[in-house]
Amino acid sequence: MLRNYFKIAWRNILVNKGSSAINIGGLAVGMAVVMLIGLWIYNELSFNKYHQNYDKIVQVMQHQTYNDVVGTQVANPAVMAETIRNEYGSDFKYVLQASWNYDHALSYKDKVFFKPGSYFEPEVTEMLTLNMLQGSRDGLKEMNSIMLSQSVAEVFFGKENAIGEIMKLDDKVDVKVTGVYEDLPDATTLQSLEFIVPWDLYLSYNSWIKDMEDPWGSNFTQTFAQLGDNSILETVSSKIKDVKLSKVTEEGRRYKPEVFLHPMSKWHLQSNFENGINTGGRIDNVWLFGIIGVFVLLLACINFMNLSTARSEKRAKEVGIRKAVGSRRIQLIMQFFNESILISCLAFILSILLVIIILPFFNTIADSKITILWANPIFWVLGIGFSVLTGIIAGVYPALYLSSFKPVKVLKGAIRIGRYAAIPRKILVTSQFAISITLIIGTIVVYQQIQYAQNRPLGYEKNGLISINTTEETHKHIEAIRTTLKGNGAIVEMTETTSPMTAVYNTNGGFDWEGKDPNLPVDFPNNAVTEEYGKTIGWKIKKGRDFSRDFGADSLAYILNESAATFMNLKDPVGKILRRGDRSFTIIGIVEDMLIQSPYKPVRPSLFHLLRRQENTFILKLNPAMSVNESMSKVEAVFKNYNTSIPFVANFVDEEFDKKFGNEKKIGQLAAFFTFLAIFISCLGLFGLASYVAEQRTKEIGIRKVLGATVIKLWNMLSKDFLILVIIACAIAIPIAYYIMDGWLQKFDYRTSISWWISIFACIGALLITIVTVSFQSIKAARSNPIKSLKTE
Amino acid sequence: MLLEIKDLFKWVNSGGNRIFLLNDIELTINEGDFISIMGPSGSGKTTLLNIIGMLDDFNEGEYNFLNEPVHTLKEKYRANLYKEYIGFVFQSYHLIDELTVYENIETPLLYKNYKSSERKSLVADMLDRFNIVGKKDLFPSQLSGGQQQIVGIARALISNPKLILADEPTGNLNSKQGEEIMNLFKELNDEGVTIIQVTHSEKNATYGSKIINLLDGRVV
Repeated sequence: MLRNYFKIAWRNILVNKGSSAINIGGLAVGMAVVMLIGLWIYNELSFNKYHQNYDKIVQVMQHQTYNDVVGTQVANPAVMAETIRNEYGSDFKYVLQASWNYDHALSYKDKVFFKPGSYFEPEVTEMLTLNMLQGSRDGLKEMNSIMLSQSVAEVFFGKENAIGEIMKLDDKVDVKVTGVYEDLPDATTLQSLEFIVPWDLYLSYNSWIKDMEDPWGSNFTQTFAQLGDNSILETVSSKIKDVKLSKVTEEGRRYKPEVFLHPMSKWHLQSNFENGINTGGRIDNVWLFGIIGVFVLLLACINFMNLSTARSEKRAKEVGIRKAVGSRRIQLIMQFFNESILISCLAFILSILLVIIILPFFNTIADSKITILWANPIFWVLGIGFSVLTGIIAGVYPALYLSSFKPVKVLKGAIRIGRYAAIPRKILVTSQFAISITLIIGTIVVYQQIQYAQNRPLGYEKNGLISINTTEETHKHIEAIRTTLKGNGAIVEMTETTSPMTAVYNTNGGFDWEGKDPNLPVDFPNNAVTEEYGKTIGWKIKKGRDFSRDFGADSLAYILNESAATFMNLKDPVGKILRRGDRSFTIIGIVEDMLIQSPYKPVRPSLFHLLRRQENTFILKLNPAMSVNESMSKVEAVFKNYNTSIPFVANFVDEEFDKKFGNEKKIGQLAAFFTFLAIFISCLGLFGLASYVAEQRTKEIGIRKVLGATVIKLWNMLSKDFLILVIIACAIAIPIAYYIMDGWLQKFDYRTSISWWISIFACIGALLITIVTVSFQSIKAARSNPIKSLKTE
Repeated sequence: MLLEIKDLFKWVNSGGNRIFLLNDIELTINEGDFISIMGPSGSGKTTLLNIIGMLDDFNEGEYNFLNEPVHTLKEKYRANLYKEYIGFVFQSYHLIDELTVYENIETPLLYKNYKSSERKSLVADMLDRFNIVGKKDLFPSQLSGGQQQIVGIARALISNPKLILADEPTGNLNSKQGEEIMNLFKELNDEGVTIIQVTHSEKNATYGSKIINLLDGRVV
């Protein structure tokens, strides 16, 4: 019996190759999308679960209030861990101080590489449950030791044993390899912790840390912790709230520092804070794509049902015969279910193949490294369970409706599926198109917003700018380097500064000026620069003058950006005095706002002064008259003179700038990808429906043709209905899309408005696609020979 | 006596009027009969045949099949009854297009839960009997009309019914094919199968032992 059903199902698939392909293919595409999104979401949600203490690991963070807003930061004073250990030790298993994770020069014999790593207190290995490949987890107890990740160890030592080898860190200290740990997987926040050195080593050659007058006055390190086995996050978090407030100076208290614990489970997905409140983050994307996935699947299922029910009506005759030769209703129901489940399972198999093909492409645009969970039973249970469910849902209509036919009537041909039977189908097609049009509008708005932010005035000239980290040697010889490079035509100008053009490395508070509310705590990006800074980056002085070597007193001069002048509410800022502690500075100029940080947020009030000691970055303006390759090789040669043992690394400012759009571009690309698929699936549905309707109306078309209707008239008649559906879909989609995208744009302070042409464009696009899809069927039907269609009646 | 119909009425309501499709039918059919139902279009021939075959309902009257009162039976028992005792042959054959000759003939057995080996031998007998062994793997569309009808008859006979109901079995066939089919019915009838056919053809009616003439739903 079952074999008979399979046979008939299979032959049905083969006989109607076209519609089977649409049916199975469309469902497979939908399933593939859901599988991709599902895998991606699984990957996002399982982030950091590699660490066995996932539930107990936290980062110690703080809220501070300045410029009238609450800011949230991971940066802590270096004494934070020690203090919490001493005062609240019983609530924690470990509290560990760590440096920032950034590139250090690691060398072994003649091999030198920049690798990202951190200084950490020794128990980090236990806290992160590092999987040791060589050595043991207590390898950081000795001060001059280093633990390497497997990939770093392989770079230096290949497959050889690394334990006991002596390496050089930052060309300064010798460290002994005491352990090699398995690389932290991509799905961990600390994935780029490629080596670890002891915190004590950091303290030993930054002796100023221990000698700080006010150890709580500066935030420049990070603190991680693992809660005690019986500690509750919220309780402990509120317990330690004032640990910093009780230690800081009078001035520091104005910032209202509030320490709290941010659990590892929120590091990846809920990392955004607004005014002291955790407002989500990547979790928004998880929701966004989760919803899109559900919709795409819905589209595919709608199609599947539409097409299988449309087709099953052709099988009314079979139902009649089977009943006449003795089939019971339940047997027919089983047969139809069996058939639709078979089809949905075929689609499932096909969708796995599709996912295998699309995955590398998806990983590129989503910037992820997801894999198919071949070995995960949940994947299979969900996938197969889901296919069966889809099959059952799609089979309900034919199974229950068709099996109810009276055989006499079907066999006589008396059952005409009435016009009303098409109504649910029309509703489904309309909602499909409404979803597609919403996605089209959404995608265009995302791209428009990116475009808008990319075209935002920068306030400086980013082309040809490169940045290079400073070292003691190069800092000392900046004048010589500058003269050489300007002399050989490689650069136009160069400068040394605290922060590169695309980030803020330093902010300072404690400033005072005429008319300032004495209780207002402030904090500004404060950039130390050389006199050539303005000339190098091409900033625009609005009032007053630039720094200059011609004025001896410029070491006590400040330049403010326009936002700072506005914030300080200074009527005539040039010449006014800015005080910090007991020192006074003169404002000599106002510069146009420069876009340094987020392209979506207002420019922060920022200050510039001349540098007094070694800062972080050189910025060079390459000579546009020379090719980039040529000037870069000249720059490298000169820097190599001074940094003999450190690899030369330079970053192009425009590339760094483009990275600011990474997240939005990713969303745009993914949205475009899903939109394309949604349109594709909708078209399949429309195509199927059009062929169904054309078939239903074969007799009518035949009669009309005999009576003299032209092909054009018939085409018009058959297509018109669908165009109306799509127009209704437009009317539904436009307000929904506007509402959603307006909400999305609210995230950005600097945002575009949604132009009217976007919806016009989306609707015209949808209509064109409809006309093309439907015409294929309607022209075919209109051209068919009426004798044939009338004879079969 | 195989079946008996008493005071049977069937009507439809159209507007305010009641239109009788069958009007006070009295009928007794014995085993071994070969009945031809004749009459002009719309006289109710096919309706009567479908009622006898339990595929259609009636509004009033009695219908006893092998002493079972069909009019009081539930759908399920009725289905079992006709599955067991009645085979249908249709004017337009009504074979399942996606199944081969062999599978089409086998279908009724599937619904009666025969074992695979039994099915094989029964279908083989039937193919043999109608000389269509060589065609068993062909699909209906590959056969001529006459051959399709032979398959239709083979399918009707496979479950060894007491009664064959044939609705214009030769209506779509040419005269030679038609003759072949009628001879086949004659043979079956000689073997003891009761046959009721609906026909327009006087000639075909002569194969039968008795003719029932219908006009506007009445026996005349």
